Order: sequence, then structure tokens, then C-alpha cells
Amino acid sequence: MSWVTIIWSTIASACITLAGIYLLVWCRNRTAWVNLLFSLTAVAAAGFAFSELSMMLAETPGQFGTALRWGQVSIWLWTVSLVGFVWLYLKAGRPWLAWATCGLRTFALLPNFLVGQNLNYREITALRHIPLLGESVAVAEGVPNPWMVLGQLSLVLLVIFVGDASVTAWRRGDRRKALMVGGSVVLLVLVGLVESMLIFWGKVQAPLTVSPFYLCLVLVMAYELGRDVLLASQLVGELQASEAGLRENEERMSLAVDAANFGIWIRDLARNEIWASDKWRKLFGFAPSERLDLGAILQRLHPDDREGFRQTVGAAVAGEGRYEAEFRVMLPNGGIRWITSHGRVEFDATGQPVRIRGASRDVTADKQAELETQLLRQQVAHVGRVTMMGQLATALAHEINQPLGAILRNAEAAELFMQEASPDLDEIRAIIADIREDDQRAGSVIDRMRGLLKRQNLSTRPIHVGELVGDVRALVRVDAAARHVKLDVGVPGDLPPVRGDRVHLQQVLLNLILNGMDALSGASLEDRRISVTALLDGAQTVEIAVSDTGTGIPDDKLAHVFDPFFTTKPDGMGMGLPISRTIIEAHGGRFWAENNKSGGATFRFTLPIAEEAAAK
Amino acid sequence: MSVTEPTVQIVDDDPSFLAAASRLLRASGFAVKTFSSASDFLAQHDTDAPGCVLADLQMPGMNGLDLQSALARSHNPLPILFLTGHGDIPSSVRAMRGGAVDFLEKRAPKEKLLDAVRRALVRDTREREERARQRELRARFDALSERELEVLSHVVQGRLNKQIASDLGIHERTVKLHRTAITTKLGVQSVAELTRLTLEAGIFEASTPTFPKGQ
Repeated sequence: MSWVTIIWSTIASACITLAGIYLLVWCRNRTAWVNLLFSLTAVAAAGFAFSELSMMLAETPGQFGTALRWGQVSIWLWTVSLVGFVWLYLKAGRPWLAWATCGLRTFALLPNFLVGQNLNYREITALRHIPLLGESVAVAEGVPNPWMVLGQLSLVLLVIFVGDASVTAWRRGDRRKALMVGGSVVLLVLVGLVESMLIFWGKVQAPLTVSPFYLCLVLVMAYELGRDVLLASQLVGELQASEAGLRENEERMSLAVDAANFGIWIRDLARNEIWASDKWRKLFGFAPSERLDLGAILQRLHPDDREGFRQTVGAAVAGEGRYEAEFRVMLPNGGIRWITSHGRVEFDATGQPVRIRGASRDVTADKQAELETQLLRQQVAHVGRVTMMGQLATALAHEINQPLGAILRNAEAAELFMQEASPDLDEIRAIIADIREDDQRAGSVIDRMRGLLKRQNLSTRPIHVGELVGDVRALVRVDAAARHVKLDVGVPGDLPPVRGDRVHLQQVLLNLILNGMDALSGASLEDRRISVTALLDGAQTVEIAVSDTGTGIPDDKLAHVFDPFFTTKPDGMGMGLPISRTIIEAHGGRFWAENNKSGGATFRFTLPIAEEAAAK
Repeated sequence: MSVTEPTVQIVDDDPSFLAAASRLLRASGFAVKTFSSASDFLAQHDTDAPGCVLADLQMPGMNGLDLQSALARSHNPLPILFLTGHGDIPSSVRAMRGGAVDFLEKRAPKEKLLDAVRRALVRDTREREERARQRELRARFDALSERELEVLSHVVQGRLNKQIASDLGIHERTVKLHRTAITTKLGVQSVAELTRLTLEAGIFEASTPTFPKGQ
């Protein structure tokens, strides 16, 4: 076997093998048309290699002509599929150039079959044999067919088309593809074109050896395609691995974040863009797709909290690097939510803040609990003020104020009438009668109150003074602590029980202690002390004293402290002590006030000892 | 209705206080009318008479605050002044928020009471003038046609003739004609004056931007 046969057969079989491989690839993935087009190109190259071999081994001009004629069909297939390949692979090129190239090549098939022996020779007159690789191969001699210009022009167009497409791809950034595919197509097609032109126009006496160039081209194309396939599968693998890792991380993160009830967010300072998790959006009352910016978020904040929040974040961005803020969020539905937010600022290499990452948490429930505790404390502290005595006092004040107001207005009117030149005496008499009536009305209100307390038939029973004081002390403990008042209790354990109405006596004691605390509000913090003491007074009574360390009662007022409506407090009604005295007197005790020698005032009252105890 | 003397209308369920307060105010030179309940007052309330109302806050049946809101909805919203046997903070706050002139205890000093009554009467006169002015303004705006009102609503929003024409789908020259008609009917010289009058008359209240009230 000759070298020429071996080489050209090898070229053809290499091309066929590659064509087969990529045809298979295309079969597996029918949308990858570029693989099919490559297969066709390779098949065409193999076909042309056979034609060339046939020509070199031809024994008659007829055989040579026929081989060349069928070689033109291979060239047609090769051109058309190459144009398609470049078009798809580089995703570039001018359509009209592609159509012109293919059209011209197709048109060239007509003279190939109709005019002369083939596209290249009108007539092959003789075969000459020249040596190649140590053997002699056939070379044609004859009249060139002028129609072959069509084929050559088509190849020129192909070069232009591929060159243009490569430039486009290069500019787009696909430099490697442009250089490898575009560059090799242009170079190798040009070389083949020049060689065939020299031979067919009779300038050079040599056999046609374009196939090796075409093989090179097919190899380059196959290499490029193979690289793409390899890269793609590699990418898919990497992507799957990283996605799995990411998903795992995300799962872990969101589990932790959800468990802690955190909404997380990232704020890009340069672009003023904010990303936030769904949980965060729910916390702040934003819809999942709503666009977020700082303005919209500030708008959600309670107006009283906005400035503070802005300053906190400002300080963090200015250099502190992190912040922690607590604020109220006003939800679109009108609700209010307490949020704590932690943020961390990230800075770039030049120290400029780039973004803030943070987490926000709903602390409304904590806040609510805190507030409720506070409220409860206040309620306990003020329980004494809204009890029976307080209600009684308010009702009384209203009832007594009515006649007193009428008396005042009548007296004022009478004064004005009297100033007239001839006063209307009938009117003045009517006024005086009304005044007298109203005075009686006011008096009857007071009588009614006394009667009420007496008629109620106080439910008396033996009471231990220590327990009584203990009850009241528990009621005022929180209030006393808040006002920094120290409450001392000195009740001897062997004191006999007294007879009384527990609730009423609690009211009296409570009123005295609250009065005492009011009297201490001007004293220095260390000197605020109230002491409640009890002692046996003779055989029948117990005396209870409540004394404070305040300023005491001015001597001229001391006699009036039990008068109704007498008060030294700006918001006082002046009813507490009169009612207390009424209660004590209803128990058969006495009630009086005195100033201490060491400062402050003491209120004392007596209660009878329970009969059973007294009888012992 | 003829022009009548401003009258202090006293409403109190306590006949004794009612008589005493009436005497004091008459002696101080005011015209006075008395009513023993809020419903009595509303039934006999002259819908045009000037004056003010002096009412007890706590009354059986309709109390002072109910009276206040009923009066505010009436055609003659007289200024109201509250009296109470003993003031409690929540109702005084509600009363003042509802526009009460003052909130006094029944035993308040005489001068304080008389001052408050005088203030209430001054306020009534002022509000009466303001309402008359509003009515007069409204009457002027009533003279405008539907189309003119439409054009006006665009003008006061600062839109140009060209924009108004395209918004309403009419010719620019027609817009100019409407504007001339508007300014003639309202008797104004400039767009600024036109805008001020429109705001005062309170038409387009829903469409013109308003500032949020307080906190």
C-alpha cells in the first residue's frame, strides 16, 4: 500500500470518527445544532479527502473528472455546514453574507454537472504523473472551466463572512472562540483556496492536497466543541455542589433566625438599597415585594423615636461600627410594635462605610409584661385612694358644693342688687330665703353622712392591731418605696384585740399614712419617716398613733384639720380627716392631732378593747 | 329673625343654683334665660339667637357633654361654658377638647365666672361673623357652573392653561374664557387671591392637600 493512500484514508477516517462522535452528542441533545453541523462539516471533509485520493490514483482523464465532479458536492456540503457552524457557534455574522456564500456555492453545482467535465475543467485532455511521497500520482491537463470563478468567489465570501463574525465575537469578549475557530477557518480556507486556484488555472503542476488543511480545521473545531462540553459538565458539577452547600447553610441560618424570632436585613449605603427577610418585612408591616428605602422605614417608626434612631445609626456609621436600638414601629393597621435592632457596619479599605447588616426582633410582649407589672404596682399603691372613702368623699363634695355654690352666687347677686339706687327688696328677701334653704340643704348632707356611717351598724369584731397595721402596710409598701418614705411599725405583740370594723379602720389608717407621705414630699430623702405605734391606754382602750417627720401643722390650723373642706393640699378635698373622725367616733373612740416636739405631726385615735379580752 | 340681644342660657337641674346664677348674671347686666334640663334647652333653643350657654356638667338624663355635642351639630353652635360641683379631670379634658370656653367649679370666684361669660359672648360674635362671611363666600362660589368649578380646581393646583386644556379635553382658548368668567364672578384680581378665597370657602376640601392635625 502507498503512503498517499494511507495518509488520505487516515484523514478521511479521522473526520468520519469525529463526525460520528458529535452526531451521537447531537442525538442526545437535539437542540445543540452546532454538533450536527460539525458532523456534517467533518463528513464533507472526509468526502473530499476520498475525492482527492481518487484523483491522485486516477488512471484515465474520465476517472479524474468524475472524482473532481463529486468532490464539488463535498465542497458544497462542507461550505454550507461550516457557515451554519460559525453562525451558531460564534453567535455572530451577517445573514446576507451567509446566504450569499451558500447561494453561490449551490449555484456553482449547476455548471459542475452541466458545463464541461466539472466545475473546474471544461475538458481534461491528458493525465500526467508526477512524484509524491516516493510514488507517482496523477495530475490533470486540460481547459479550465471559467464557471469555477463561482466556487472560488463563494470561498472568498466564506472567508469574509467568518472574518466578520469573528471580529464581532472578539469585540463582544469571546476572544478565544473568535481566535480559534474564526482564525483557523480564515487561514486554512485561504491556504486551500490559493492552492486550488494555482492548480486549476494551470499555474502549477501539482496534485490537489487541500484535505490535510481541512482535517486541521475539523480538529480545531472538535477541540473547541469538546472543551465546551467538558466545561459545561464541570460547571454543572460545581454548581450542584455549591448549591447544596448554600442550601444547607441557608437552612441552618433560617432555622436559627426563626427560632430567635429575628428579622434580618442588609442595607447598601452606596445604593441606598435595603434587602430584608420576609420575617423582617412582617415585623415592620411591609409587603413581600414592596421596595424598601430608609425614608420608608423611618416613616414606620414612632415620631418620638425617629430622631433617636437616626442619631444612633449615624454614630455607628461615623465610626462606632455597631449599634443597638429600641424603638416603636407603627404598623399600617394602626398597631404598635416594640422592636430591638442590632446592626453592624462594614467599612471598605479606605474606611468608608459600605453596608450595614442587622437583625431586628419583636419585643412587644416583653414590653407589655414590663408595663403591666408597672401598672399593677401603681394600682396596688393607689388602691387606698379609690376605695370607699374616696368615693364617699367625691359624692359628698359634689352634693355639698351644689348648695354652697348657690349660696355664694346668691350672696354675690344680693351685693350687686344692694348697690343699685333703689334696691328691689323683694328680690333681696327671696335671695335671703334661698340662702337659708341652701344652708339647711348643706347641713343635711353632712347629717346624712354621719347617719349613713352610724346606721350602717358597723360590723364590729375583735381585731388584732398588729394585723390591721400589717394589712395597711402591705397596701402602701410600694408607694412608700417609690416616695422614699421609711415606714416603721411598733405594735407590742401582747396588745389585746380591739373591737371594730376592719375595713373602716383600714381606711382610717390608710388615709393617715397617705396624708403623712404627702406631708413628707418636701423633706430630704433621708428624713422621710412615718411610724405607726400602738399602746395600751388604761384598761379599756388602745391608742394608735401615726406620726411623720414632716413640717407639722401650723398652730393656727391645728384646730381646723377636722373641719370639712379644710385642706392644705392643692388637690385635696378636705374630706379625709372629717370622715375618719366620724368613723372613729362611731366606734366610740376619740381622734385628735398634735405637733411633735422634734418636728412633724402625730395623729392619734383610740379604740375600745374587745369585751371578751377586757373581761379577762 | 330680628337682631336680638346676646343672651346667656343657663342649663342646670338644680333649681336653687339656677335661680342664684341667673340673679347674679342679671345683676351684672346680662340678658339671661334658664332651663332645668338639656332637652328643655334644645327644644326651646332659638336657632338664630346670639349668646352663650352656661351648663352644669352632671345632670340626670342628657348631661353637659351630650348637650355640647348636640349643640355643636346644630345650626347655631353657641359657645358653651361648663360648671361642676366638683371637677374631675377626664370630663374637663373632654369638655375642653370639644371646644368648651371654660370649665369652672360652681364655687369659682365671681370675677372668674363673669370673665368667662364675657369671653364666650365675644367668641360668639366672632364666630357669627365668620359664619356669615363663609355663607357669603359660598354664595359667590355657588354662582359658578360645574365646568367652571372643574377648571377652578385645576387652577388652584397651579396647573397651566395648556395642561388644564389637555386634562379636560377642551381648547386652551375655552379654558381662558372659563378663567375670565370665574374671576369676574368671584370678583378677584389675581390667582393668589383666587386660591386664598377657594381655601377660605373650603370647597375642594377633599382634594387640596392638608397638613396633619397636631400630633
